Amino acid sequence: MTEKLLARAGAVRVAGVVAAALGLVTVLLPWAYGKTALDNMTYFFGPSFLQLCYAILLLVALVALAAKWFRGRLGRFAKAVAWADTAKAAGLGAAGYALACLVAIAVQNGGLVMIEPGGWAAFGLALVTGGAALVLPGSAKPTLGKLKSPPWVQILAIAAAMAVVLFAAAYELNRADIEDFLVFGCFAVAVVVVGRAAGLFGWLSLAAANNRRVLSLAAFAVAFAFPFTQNGSDANMSVANQVLIFAATAMGLNIVVGLVGLLDMGYIAFLGAGAFTAAVLSKSAFATLSVDLPFPVTVLISGVVASLLGLLIGTPTLRVSGDYLAIVTLAFGEIFRITMNNLDGVDGPNITNGSNGVPAIPNLDFFGFNLGQVHHFLGVDLGRQSNYYWLLLVVIAVVIVVFSNLAHSRIGRGWVAIREDELAAEAMGVNTFALKLLAFAGGAFLAGMAGSVKAYRDTAVSPDQFVFLESAFLLAAVVLGGMGTIGGVLIGATLLKLLPEKLRFFEDYRLLLFGALMVLMMRFRPEGIVADERRQLEFHDADEELAEEVEEDLVSHHSLLNPETDRGAVA
Amino acid sequence: MNVTLFFEQLVNGLSLGSLYALIAVGYTVVYGIIQLINFAHGEIFMVGAFGAYTVWMVVGSPTALSWPMALFVLLPAMILGGVVLSVGTALATERFAYRPLRGAPRLAPLISAIGISVFLQEFVRLFYRKLPGAPDSKRAIPFPRIEGITGHSLQVGAVAIKLSSVFTVVALAVCTAFLWYYINKTKTGRAMVATSQDPDTARLMGIDVDAVIMRAFAVGAGLAAVAGVAHGLYIGNIDFKMGFMAGLKAFTAAVLGGIGNINGAVVGGLVLGIVESFAAQLGNSAWKDVWAFVILILVLVFRPQGILGAKVADRA
Repeated sequence: MTEKLLARAGAVRVAGVVAAALGLVTVLLPWAYGKTALDNMTYFFGPSFLQLCYAILLLVALVALAAKWFRGRLGRFAKAVAWADTAKAAGLGAAGYALACLVAIAVQNGGLVMIEPGGWAAFGLALVTGGAALVLPGSAKPTLGKLKSPPWVQILAIAAAMAVVLFAAAYELNRADIEDFLVFGCFAVAVVVVGRAAGLFGWLSLAAANNRRVLSLAAFAVAFAFPFTQNGSDANMSVANQVLIFAATAMGLNIVVGLVGLLDMGYIAFLGAGAFTAAVLSKSAFATLSVDLPFPVTVLISGVVASLLGLLIGTPTLRVSGDYLAIVTLAFGEIFRITMNNLDGVDGPNITNGSNGVPAIPNLDFFGFNLGQVHHFLGVDLGRQSNYYWLLLVVIAVVIVVFSNLAHSRIGRGWVAIREDELAAEAMGVNTFALKLLAFAGGAFLAGMAGSVKAYRDTAVSPDQFVFLESAFLLAAVVLGGMGTIGGVLIGATLLKLLPEKLRFFEDYRLLLFGALMVLMMRFRPEGIVADERRQLEFHDADEELAEEVEEDLVSHHSLLNPETDRGAVA
Repeated sequence: MNVTLFFEQLVNGLSLGSLYALIAVGYTVVYGIIQLINFAHGEIFMVGAFGAYTVWMVVGSPTALSWPMALFVLLPAMILGGVVLSVGTALATERFAYRPLRGAPRLAPLISAIGISVFLQEFVRLFYRKLPGAPDSKRAIPFPRIEGITGHSLQVGAVAIKLSSVFTVVALAVCTAFLWYYINKTKTGRAMVATSQDPDTARLMGIDVDAVIMRAFAVGAGLAAVAGVAHGLYIGNIDFKMGFMAGLKAFTAAVLGGIGNINGAVVGGLVLGIVESFAAQLGNSAWKDVWAFVILILVLVFRPQGILGAKVADRA
């Protein structure tokens, strides 16, 4: 069957292009009867936003299928893109997206009858397009990633990518209906898959590597602008704050697990130590010490207390390396929780008020700028959560800068050496014990800092916030995202905090899926969503092809990298 | 502390310690062969208790059996049910989660084990109650009374010893005897010892290492299931998260005795149980869970090879 079709590759291609073109027309037709389904797909000649998303995917598929006919300069550029794979991804992605839309319409409006013929046609035509692309021969590895381009193009691309991310995140978070949320999520996933297939991400990551400062500034600017997209609503900002606290803590754990390869299963204790320190020192009426210190000092003290705990647990246990550490740290996490519960004046000195914890922590106040109040700025109301969001943004920026500077320093190389082969590292003169201890204390410091802000944002701290499961989630964020990477851990933290928040309907099954995900992840993609190249090799050491690929990538990146930015502080 | 109290705490400690020991054997056997801390082993213990409960439920939840019937028919059937379910679960996890990761960096199977642990807990919590006639598995479930054990006690002088305590200690004794026989007197048991000493040579000698590993998981799971039933009788109820703390304590016991060493697991379990019950009696009971972990940390620092000593601790 396939061979017959291959013999008629030209005809198949034409069929695919025609189907894609017809599919584009369907967005001018209504897809649903009811106006309430998704974002009102009931108009003739008035495509809704979600319909336009479908059109984008299909347009990419059409161009990709037609690319074989490009000539001249366009043709030369076209050679760098893996068009056949792009067409497959875009066609099938459009079909999947259309299907998701149809399911959402049926669910929201009650039945398949609520789908207009336009919707069915959209799905069918996308399927034909994708099918046509599927039977055509595949393409070589995309070379787009190695294409040289002027710096301004790269910077522009980074800025555009960041703007798209901001817009998509704001749009996605403002979806009230779960179906809308999922449908747009499908579109985002499809775009990522298409981008990967085309080799666009390879090019973008090279551009990013060339312009690290621009990238980090752009990312920070986007993150800074995020509250302005929320129209004064605190609901999403609260979720964003949880993500940031979680991500900052996970970044600390990332040093320990990702860089040094030590499994810490009681990490939440360090966040807790920071939070309790800040709470006990705060001006709350329930605080037992209540020293009135400036906030930056509190943050530092919290970090120091957490890192002292890290030293306390690390000094005895880091000598017996290996998997004992996992259980000892787990035990330590439990000891921390039990101790916080018992420091209530009955079973021990009263420091934490036992299981009640420290409630009613007052809001922070910087030179008269009260973080608890709504401020009006640039025509937008910015609520309490937005204020704390910016504070947390500063914290996470510090965390990321510390992490990346450490990771690329002599210390960081020592850590990776310990992870890869501790005996060899020691033989090469790496002081393994001191470095491991430093990782423990340093990671704990970052978590403790995050904890101090958490105490103020939550306004209350109690021992039951720091259970084992939270440590497991932190570990999952690091593992899922990609051990040892910054972007991966940010993505992992976002997914793990955002999805449960939005997908309330399967709240009960959350942990079950989480457990299954950890097992599947270890089996099929142990290096995580964003793979650290070296790490990836460790997990697939028998894969010669991958080894060559990674080496090739590293070499080409290095030769293209501007030596000046290479040596500078990278973030 | 008077003499009566002392003996009462000793009995408590021995029964608690027997539970730990039964579970600890599972950690130690598996660790001895593939150097994996089977973090999900606590959940295997929990599954065993639920398996036993299921048998009781399936035979019609009898409550008023005569004691010979309860003791010699119902109880063995329940233990068998628990063992079957535990062993099945353990073999499935070995096959689908651990075996594919053999040879991967050490972090991978450990993380996988955490995943399995959470998965099994949640699976029981969410789905056990969907069985026809099953109780709400989101709460603690009262374990069935076994006439002849539950509620009776033996009076030795001034000390009252609960029969469930006796059952737990006897269960440990019987299981240890069985284990000793299996390891030392049977061919498959010898193969297990050989594999733990040197897997490569064992393979060259014609030993099916995969089968040995599966047997190690099965033996550990079987003992854990017995512990599950004993726990149900001794504590009086079971729940989906009972494996977490018990598993941690049992691991501590295994390390205390010397991980990889089966006798060590038994000794470690008993010592830990006794220390814990005396600590709870003498000190403040709010801190009782802390002691076990403090002991774990102290052992790892000062005598990482454990009381009886076996495998070198820093093999990782």
